[in-house]
Amino acid sequence: MALREPAWRTFAAELNAAMQEERGTGERAATYLLSPYGARMNRVLLAGTLSSPETIGKDPAQPFWRARLVDPTGTISVTAGAFQPRAMAQLQSVQGPRTAMVVGKVHLYRGNDGTAYISVRAESLRTIDELTLRALYADALSQSFDRLELVGRLATDPNLPDDRFDGAPTAWVRAARDSVRRYPTVDRAGYRAALKGVLEVVEGTHAVLPPPAPTPTHVRITSSEPPAAAPRAAPSAEERAHESAFLDVLDELVDNSSDGYADLKELVQRLAEHGLSAEMAEELLDRLQEDGVVEEPIVGRLRRA
Amino acid sequence: MIEGPPSSEPAEVRLKDLRVSDVPVQIVARIVSVERREYSRPADGRRRSFLTGLLSDGTASVRFTWWEPPNDEVDRGTIIRAQNVQVREYQGRPEVSFSFRTRVAPAGPADLPKVDSEEVPFRTISELQSRSEGFRLEARVLRVGPKVVTVGAEQRQVYEGILGDGTGLVAFSSWSDFHLAPNEAIRIAGAYVRTFRGRPQLVLDETSIVARIDPGRLPPIEALLPSAPRSLARLEAAGGSESAVVEGLVVALLPPSGLVYRCPTCRRPVSGGLCSQHGAVKGVADLRARLVLDDGTSTVTLNIDRPMTESLWGVTLDEALERLRRSPDPSLLESSLADEVVGRRLRARGRVFPDDFGLNLYPESVEPVGVELDERAKELRNRWEAARGAA
Ligand SMILES: [Zn+2]
Repeated sequence: MALREPAWRTFAAELNAAMQEERGTGERAATYLLSPYGARMNRVLLAGTLSSPETIGKDPAQPFWRARLVDPTGTISVTAGAFQPRAMAQLQSVQGPRTAMVVGKVHLYRGNDGTAYISVRAESLRTIDELTLRALYADALSQSFDRLELVGRLATDPNLPDDRFDGAPTAWVRAARDSVRRYPTVDRAGYRAALKGVLEVVEGTHAVLPPPAPTPTHVRITSSEPPAAAPRAAPSAEERAHESAFLDVLDELVDNSSDGYADLKELVQRLAEHGLSAEMAEELLDRLQEDGVVEEPIVGRLRRA
Repeated sequence: MIEGPPSSEPAEVRLKDLRVSDVPVQIVARIVSVERREYSRPADGRRRSFLTGLLSDGTASVRFTWWEPPNDEVDRGTIIRAQNVQVREYQGRPEVSFSFRTRVAPAGPADLPKVDSEEVPFRTISELQSRSEGFRLEARVLRVGPKVVTVGAEQRQVYEGILGDGTGLVAFSSWSDFHLAPNEAIRIAGAYVRTFRGRPQLVLDETSIVARIDPGRLPPIEALLPSAPRSLARLEAAGGSESAVVEGLVVALLPPSGLVYRCPTCRRPVSGGLCSQHGAVKGVADLRARLVLDDGTSTVTLNIDRPMTESLWGVTLDEALERLRRSPDPSLLESSLADEVVGRRLRARGRVFPDDFGLNLYPESVEPVGVELDERAKELRNRWEAARGAA
């Protein structure tokens, strides 16, 4: 059984708050991102203002594009590469900030200090008009309220049996249980407050979205689990950005390779295009290896540990 | 336990009246399903075949085992008269077995017991299960239409449709023409239930009895067919439906979509100029679309035929062929179709079957649907205020 994953209707703030990753069971198991607000997402549907895309990497054989999507709750990166040629063509055709909807798979990179960096790899993307945006937000808001209600009821009474959630999808009840268990200390009122901006767009009183933020957002969340490692001082925002870029390129190279490894030389080359010198790349590699994030089991061949 | 030697002329017994006994019986029944299997005879280790399957006479169905059967194939649907049949019990249900003592002869529909509809218990649609048999049902005909099917080398007309009684819906397939019309209220006896694509289906044949009843005894057609969309998660939990309304966004177009070529005889897709049944054929151009509709809770694949594809795409088959002549790349047609449909909000009605990848809907209708924004905004504002009040 390989059931198709539904596209969870969600917002940037929910994705950015999600830092728990889960792997499904069985062969070719999907990866899921568990949010504190009751979603267990593999595929998502987002809508908002999409910035002009920028290309990452100059190898014409392996094009990879990234744009930022802003909704009333925050910003999220949207990417498309050679493996999604239609989505990539659609992303490339976006000129300047445009209202758009995106369906894609969530992707999580975890830094060495518990920082989660989430992006959406687009499968399909299209520009939409304002009424369509408001309708999409109405769906997503209504489903977010439903899920927050499930989470709220389970937070109050974690032992409520499944049959007490008549009408709610079983996958939602399960996700809500996991959210409550895995994020016991998260304040959900802040997210509820952020949804007010969405409500105003649905009502038509707040049509204009904030302009795209200049850099991809990194959101830090307190996890109930012990941090992965790092007795050292928390890295700066810049270091974290470099780390993300490193892992981003690494994952991309691994995804496109036939043997599951990224070539070190190619990686360094590609990082240079991001303004990272070879020394900085080496330094990053050392740190990520030391933290057990990346490994080099074959000389010159890298992968995630 | 009955004493005495087996009678030489055993009485004919209806399947619903079968009881475990040492006394052989005589039965008349239709072979509903049959399968040939093999075993090694312990005496000499030689491979022998036997038949096993399901018999039905309209009053009940029982499993049968036929030891030392004829070498010729025994077709499903054959009506037989069997004398000197042993009745055994397996897991609390009677079963029959045919041995070398059993005489099996062909029989006709007239030999099957007449099922008196008052004699069999009343069932509602929600109570039907696979292999249900020997019941009567009262329902309204919601949909009915003829369909030609190929059985072996032969073309046969069947009548397919949907029945509803207020407890549920069930698809039916009738080998016999009962002149059914939509909206009629009927009583059916002598039908049986089989599983078709994971859903129960009622099968009627020439031994079934159909009588018209007072239409006032059943809810009107509008009350029996769903009108409001159902969440895809609920539909999935129910394992599909005979008639469901769903609503969602098109998130993907699955291959094969766009221009396809079909066998002129059987309409199966032609690949490399070959039909899997008819060999080398000249494919006939057709349009189709497989759309993934997603409502956030689950997904359903809509299997869309040519007229619906043309209306959603805004491109006719002739126009598509003309475009192909101008730029001979069929993937451009698929892209154009995808650009037109992905992101659309659609409402579809039809039969929904589950498979390994999820739900599949064969639509009676597909239409673009709008959103009542003001209404939804008010609803959401109320929920927002209520949640804030509670917090
Ligand atoms: Zn054919």
